[in-house]
Amino acid sequence: MSVHVEELVVTSAGRPLVDVADVGLPPGRAVTIVGESGSGKSLLAHAVMGTLAPELEARGRLRLDDTGYDVAERGNRRHLWGRRMALLPQEPVLALDPTMRVGEQVAEGAPGFRSDRRGGRRRAAELLAALGLGGWARAHPHTLSGGMAQRVAFAAATIGGAGVLIADEPSKGLDDAARDALAALLRRHLEGGGVLLTITHDLDLARRLGGDVLVMRDAGVVERGPAEEVLDRPAHPYTRRLLAAEPGRWTARPRSGGSPGGAPVLVSADGVGKGFDGRSVFADVSLTIRGGDRLALTGPSGSGKTTLGGVLLRLLAPDSGSVRHAPELARGRLQKLYQDPAVAFPARVPIGTGLRDLLHRHRPEPGRLEDLMTAMRLGEPLLRRRPGQVSGGELQRLAIIRAMLLDPLLLFADEPTSRLDLATQQETIGCLTDQVDRAGCGLVLVTHDRALARAVCDREVSLTPEPAGVPGSR
Amino acid sequence: MAAGRAELVLVTSVPLRAAARQVGSAGGAGPAGDGARPGRLARRAAIRRVLAQRCVQAVSVTVLVSTACFAVVQTLPGDVAMRIAAGRYGYDGVTAATADAVRAELGLDAPAWQQLLRWWADLLRLDLGTSLVTGRDVGAELALPVASSLQLAAVALLLAVVVGGAVGTAAARRPGGLLDRLTTVWVAGARALPPFLLGLLLIVVFSVHLGWLPAVGHGSASSVVLPAATLAVGLSGLFARVTRDTVAQIGGSAFVAFAETKGLRRRAVLVRHVLRNAGLTLVAYLGVQAVLLVEGVVVVESLFAWPGLGHALVHAIFWRDVPVLQAAAVALALLVVLVNTVVDLAGLALDPRPRRREVVP
Amino acid sequence: MSSALAASPPLPRMAVGRLSGTQRCAAAVLVLLVLFAVAGPWVWPDPVAQDLSRFLQPPGLAEPLGRDHLGRSVVSRLAHATRLSLLMALACVATAALVGTLAGVLAAWRGGVVDTVLHGLSEAFVALPALLVVLVASAIADGGLWPLYAGLALAQWVEYFRVVRARSAVLLGGPAVEAAGLLGLGPVHVLRRHLWPDLAPLLTTMATFGLGTSVLALSTLGFVSVGVAPPTPELGQMVTEAFPFYDEAPWMSLAPVLVLVAVLLGLLGLRGREGGS
Repeated sequence: MSVHVEELVVTSAGRPLVDVADVGLPPGRAVTIVGESGSGKSLLAHAVMGTLAPELEARGRLRLDDTGYDVAERGNRRHLWGRRMALLPQEPVLALDPTMRVGEQVAEGAPGFRSDRRGGRRRAAELLAALGLGGWARAHPHTLSGGMAQRVAFAAATIGGAGVLIADEPSKGLDDAARDALAALLRRHLEGGGVLLTITHDLDLARRLGGDVLVMRDAGVVERGPAEEVLDRPAHPYTRRLLAAEPGRWTARPRSGGSPGGAPVLVSADGVGKGFDGRSVFADVSLTIRGGDRLALTGPSGSGKTTLGGVLLRLLAPDSGSVRHAPELARGRLQKLYQDPAVAFPARVPIGTGLRDLLHRHRPEPGRLEDLMTAMRLGEPLLRRRPGQVSGGELQRLAIIRAMLLDPLLLFADEPTSRLDLATQQETIGCLTDQVDRAGCGLVLVTHDRALARAVCDREVSLTPEPAGVPGSR
Repeated sequence: MAAGRAELVLVTSVPLRAAARQVGSAGGAGPAGDGARPGRLARRAAIRRVLAQRCVQAVSVTVLVSTACFAVVQTLPGDVAMRIAAGRYGYDGVTAATADAVRAELGLDAPAWQQLLRWWADLLRLDLGTSLVTGRDVGAELALPVASSLQLAAVALLLAVVVGGAVGTAAARRPGGLLDRLTTVWVAGARALPPFLLGLLLIVVFSVHLGWLPAVGHGSASSVVLPAATLAVGLSGLFARVTRDTVAQIGGSAFVAFAETKGLRRRAVLVRHVLRNAGLTLVAYLGVQAVLLVEGVVVVESLFAWPGLGHALVHAIFWRDVPVLQAAAVALALLVVLVNTVVDLAGLALDPRPRRREVVP
Repeated sequence: MSSALAASPPLPRMAVGRLSGTQRCAAAVLVLLVLFAVAGPWVWPDPVAQDLSRFLQPPGLAEPLGRDHLGRSVVSRLAHATRLSLLMALACVATAALVGTLAGVLAAWRGGVVDTVLHGLSEAFVALPALLVVLVASAIADGGLWPLYAGLALAQWVEYFRVVRARSAVLLGGPAVEAAGLLGLGPVHVLRRHLWPDLAPLLTTMATFGLGTSVLALSTLGFVSVGVAPPTPELGQMVTEAFPFYDEAPWMSLAPVLVLVAVLLGLLGLRGREGGS
């Protein structure tokens, strides 16, 4: 079994979004397409599968073993779905029907399910058990973690025996452990002689899958070759830039501020615990934050990082223990950056209008806003737009400006770059650390990305959920 | 990371929303039966919460209506005692003496708030009083109207759900297609043509000119057709629109796309995933329709002289027959609460997810 | 504060000056109706003068819509009835929107007892179909206008309350307002920049819809003969009066029906493409 894509072009209103001459997918060898959002890599996958949005035009040829298919024709591959070709969806939590038990969702893809339901269900149970989800067939999707939902989706996609598996950003939103499990699953598919095309911006996943890597940018492939070669010795400048943006490879910047050892204590938490609906999220956390500190709060998704942040900021009352703030933090000297900056600004007024209210209220030295805008390389016209009309990276920088206008002593950044791609993340974090250094302000960075935490912070507090396994409790 | 630079503090947090977070390693151990138990407990708690909320709502709406009716009595022109005496003894039997007796017996010269308390107490004892017009017990008076209103409402709702659901599902297959645009026109038409005008139109066409169906009355099977159709035209238009929007929206969701690439046939995707999920929204929407339905019942019954609650209500208002007015209004309001209770419970049964928001009635 | 309708209602776009064709037509129809309601009673002043000798007189130059079964001028009655309907609808919607919005913001902002009491009250009202409230109010009204106005407003405030409370609770509990608090910006900023810009389009849509509901409710009352007392002309009542004569004097029935449908269609068209329920 093998797949060949030839002369594939996808356009939207005449504008090319994908333009790739030739991609071969051999059995047993991973092919991974990497690149930033907007490079067209996801569209390529959907063009191969035949699931492009109807407003896009596609042309080109697809060869599956000896049969040729015209990519322009939408419906001609539908009969292959599930049996020969399968798509592992991004965000599996959304790809599962919330009202149906997961066993049934896997079983309905089994060949012959229409005539032999019991057989299909038995195969689904076997498959789920093989994936370590033995007791979960009767669970509903909302009770699963992201990683478990990914394994259920894998079972549902492959139960029909499809040899060609296309995975579209499969590691999106997964924590480290779940990503390990995912990589193992995909490799197992290859070992069984399957064809695997993975679309990802996660270079680490690409490295683990091995095989061939294609780097896409602006609709075209800029570099291709064996994974170790492309990802270790990139030839194209774009690939080099892409790799350099990984937090693990950032060159350490010299810190201008001194060691925070003697600085005054700004926040001290003493044995705090917090829970919701009678379930404890974390318990007995004690820590102190001093002026000029760079502290990372890490942990997998759902481990209570954001909740702990809320407690430390005294936006949430702890169930036990106490949080004390130094008096100098009053009057806006404690600021916060949000994971999604778009929801941290009033949605329906221009950004400049909100900032004017702020200037009016606090009267920082004149010209401060303009200086910050210049320092962040942002133009005046952005202020006339609404939050929804500005890109995520620019908006997060505007949020940094908004916080810095008040000369904070401590800045609390809650996953400030988790929605940005790598290059934008690097730029945004660069701006953030520059400003924090210049103002001598403390920084608490909440992140699920250990590499980022290590690149930015001096100290790390890690929240680890205790493993437990009662299916059904949520 | 430079080894010396970071000091690693490990805070072990408690089993948080636990199981769910655990990945890799051994997988979910334990038989499925274990998992069902907490879910079932939560389900039962949710059912209790719904019932409690709706009970409170039923009580408060009853008090509200009853108080309003008390206000009606207070504002009626003329002497209340005279009126009640007339209701009891007939107009010939009313004298100043009987009126005084009534006044003393019912405490009508007491301050208003005491009278209001007594009024509520009567209601609490389920003493609905006697009709001021016919002199019969209100409970007995309203037994037939309740039954015939329910009959009319049930037929109309069934018609609306079947027709609206089918048309909406079909329209969602081709958004912007002919059927879709026709639905839009139909909804706009139903909005712009109030039920009483629509009813008149139907009477003129089918009863007066064509002579196919009886315009008024109750009893024969055909007499329900025109009133039910009048109600159903408006309701089914809205239902079709909501069905279309819901089905189209769910059709565009990630889980439907995934179901297709799993290799399911279109029909299986529609039945097993799209309609199943659309049902949740549509059942909740029936709660909204209950309010419209009750409004429609009042109008349509008056128009077609259908002997239901709405008819009784309008008559009671016309004759200022307060006990009947109160009982009919409370019954209609409780009908809304009842429908919404059923809708809530159905939603709980159909949707396994924990509920975060209330369904708006 | 977290309960109730967490899903945000669809946000209507109604940028002034960027109206679609349908909306422009609808606006034109409404402007004509308002002109008729304002100027009509002035041109044809007396809606109750009877002249039995001109029983069911067909339309002519002097009487563009003819005369009814009591020889009264139909066009004059129609103009007065239209004015009554539009004024009542405007007054009721303005009152209901004002009361509901203030109560909703108050409940979402203060929470606690204020919220519990207002929410409990709204729960009771929500189970009461608007028409039922207005019917009971009409029993008190006895043909008078004030209780009808109060009843119509009372029947509608709860919608505004519920929507505003739910939306405000979402906004006030959201990150943008949290950030405003950390930035030291006060309630004036929150009201002006966060709540009002978000609520205003919702309120506009609801009010447009509410106007239609009010006109309809008033005419329905008139139709079942429990609304505005008879000599005063009212659209629904005119339909009822005209019905027995629809064969001999169709103008008498058609005129109020057309005005009613035009008002409802105009308001519907103004909201643009079908905006849900």
